[in-house]
Amino acid sequence: MTATVPVGPPDQGSIHHRLRLRPLGLRRRLLLILTLGSMGLSLFLAITTYGLTRSNVVTQRDESSVDATRRNAQLVTSSLRGNPPNVQDALDALRGFGVQRPLIWYRPSQDWYGGSGRFQAAVLPEELVRRVVTDAIPARMILDVAGETNLVVGWPLPDVGAYFEFFSMGDINSTLGSVRLALALASAITTGLGVMVGVFAAQRSVRPLGAAAQAAKSFASGRLDTRLEVTDDPDLSVLADSFNEMAAALQQRVERDARFASDVSHELRSPLMTLSASVEVMEARRDEMPERARAALDLLSSDVTRFKGLVEDLLEISRFDAGAVRLHLEELLVAEFVRQAVAISSVPTARMTTTQRSETLLIEGDRRRLARVIANLLDNARIHGAMADSGEVTISVQEIPESDGQVSKVQIAVEDHGGGVPADERSLIFARFARGGSAGRRSSSDGAGLGLALVDEHIRLHGGRVWVEDRLDREAGARFVIELPAEELAPEEIAHEEIAT
Amino acid sequence: MLTVEDDERIRSAVKLALEDEGWTVDEAESGEAAIELFNRNAPDVVLIDIMLPGIDGFELCRTLRRTSAVPIVMVTARNDTHDIVAGLEAGADDYLTKPFAAKELSARIRALLRRIRPSTTRRSHMVFGELELSPEEGKVTRSGEEIHLTKTEFRLLCELAENAGKVFSRENLLDRVWGYDYFGDGRLVDVHIRRLRTKIEADPANPRYVVTVRGLGYRLET
Repeated sequence: MTATVPVGPPDQGSIHHRLRLRPLGLRRRLLLILTLGSMGLSLFLAITTYGLTRSNVVTQRDESSVDATRRNAQLVTSSLRGNPPNVQDALDALRGFGVQRPLIWYRPSQDWYGGSGRFQAAVLPEELVRRVVTDAIPARMILDVAGETNLVVGWPLPDVGAYFEFFSMGDINSTLGSVRLALALASAITTGLGVMVGVFAAQRSVRPLGAAAQAAKSFASGRLDTRLEVTDDPDLSVLADSFNEMAAALQQRVERDARFASDVSHELRSPLMTLSASVEVMEARRDEMPERARAALDLLSSDVTRFKGLVEDLLEISRFDAGAVRLHLEELLVAEFVRQAVAISSVPTARMTTTQRSETLLIEGDRRRLARVIANLLDNARIHGAMADSGEVTISVQEIPESDGQVSKVQIAVEDHGGGVPADERSLIFARFARGGSAGRRSSSDGAGLGLALVDEHIRLHGGRVWVEDRLDREAGARFVIELPAEELAPEEIAHEEIAT
Repeated sequence: MLTVEDDERIRSAVKLALEDEGWTVDEAESGEAAIELFNRNAPDVVLIDIMLPGIDGFELCRTLRRTSAVPIVMVTARNDTHDIVAGLEAGADDYLTKPFAAKELSARIRALLRRIRPSTTRRSHMVFGELELSPEEGKVTRSGEEIHLTKTEFRLLCELAENAGKVFSRENLLDRVWGYDYFGDGRLVDVHIRRLRTKIEADPANPRYVVTVRGLGYRLET
């Protein structure tokens, strides 16, 4: 069976596509909405307030101006009705009352009088003049005169003409200016508060999502009992409940699958026990058997052994799947440990090299499982070496110093003289039932292809990693490297102990 | 030998294989039957399958331990640490996982039954603080009070005592006490050390006699 897994560069196009269409995050969106909302609301309030204030102030000024004009118009009328009528007297009288910008249209002489500085008849719009002078209707209008806003009120004087007066509105403008400034400041503050509330609310509302994301991550990493905390919040409880339901369903399913594999191998052990004991009884009588029965017994015996290994591996793998592997951790002197593991492996003669420092390195490990790992790697090397019919298997132990000279890692490497592993198969050979694919280099008797998968699982559980690379001397062959966390034991800690032999 | 196993076929095959190894085998298919046979025939060794109908293997083990120091070997179909440690805690001296070879079981049992090797340095009486050890009589006392140890616990203590002050690696102890000539299971040593401590130490959490030596193993303090 050859499994092909496509390996290639990721689809660049689709990544760009996703980047371009990527929407704003929930948090940013909330913040944006709250910011725009508070800004809009405060602007609306400010503008409305400003409009109302302005019309209020202007109306007041308007009424008082019209009143003053009416009064002054009566004064002018009485002056002009005098005998002889004298416009200058009227103007003097007005000045006496403090009127600053009067203007009189005297009908008998068809001329304008009064007018101070720039406040002349010339600046009056024709429309206003026509209304007041021709139609004899009081009227008013706001004008800009020399950059100053003025209210001009015109009052018809029956028979004698018309009276106009300019009222400066500069003070109103400055009042309104202060109001504008105050309102602008208020809007800015409100908007700022809105942003702050937005940030707070966004964080608050996204926090449960963060918790959910963390829970999902932890679940994905194999902690199947991860659940979200159940809250009273009806909005959040929907999320929590459905997450927990999903998690429970998945957990059940994963556990059921794992239990099935475990049950299968467990159930297989009983008949295997009978088989194995019976084969043993028969083997004790091997010499009494005819030739053909003996050959059959040998086949039976070797396959019972193979079957045992397979069941053992399957059980171990299913334990990993169920997350039920509990390591029995001991502190092990790594070099000595490897020496012993090699001695009991299928390649007890493998040449072993250690560095001096590695002799005092301690690892925390499950002795039985790590011995299995080393046995599996040596098995693997032996099979490949045997296939290539060349050379010995070597194993080395070496410390990996950090930049500060402390040792925190140890590498155990197994090298063979086999065909090596092509670069594109290097990550695949640790998969279950992966066979050294392309050329079918392996024989059919090298187990179920679970060996390297178990190595990988075991080493990962020990907080280390395993990979395969080219031999360091560049000759043909593979180099399997295990890297484990290690700690250096001070030499004096060992030196004074007398070891029983 | 008494084998307790509920699967009839396994029982028959194991009996055949063990008889080949020279054992006389009594069979029991349940815990209840096993207790009866045990009381009647007083076997040298008991082989117990953990998964039994009725009284389970752990319970049977504890029951036998209450009255006897007989070597007990557990058989489990699972290699889970939980089952194995529970079996050892219940008083088993060793364990095997199915399927096991009768040859291996036989070797294991012989190791358990083996008497402490005669040795020139061996003394008939050893004293460590309040602890007094008499290997010949198979007796241990603390402050004059006798402590009841199983055969394996006693052997473990004697091995440590004979070379008191020296460090024993777990493999070394596995070899000396259990007769493992290959990579044994450190759990066997650790659980037995723990049980030994609860019996002989005043404060098992801070042992005065059997101490752990980091990275190396165990040592009996002189």
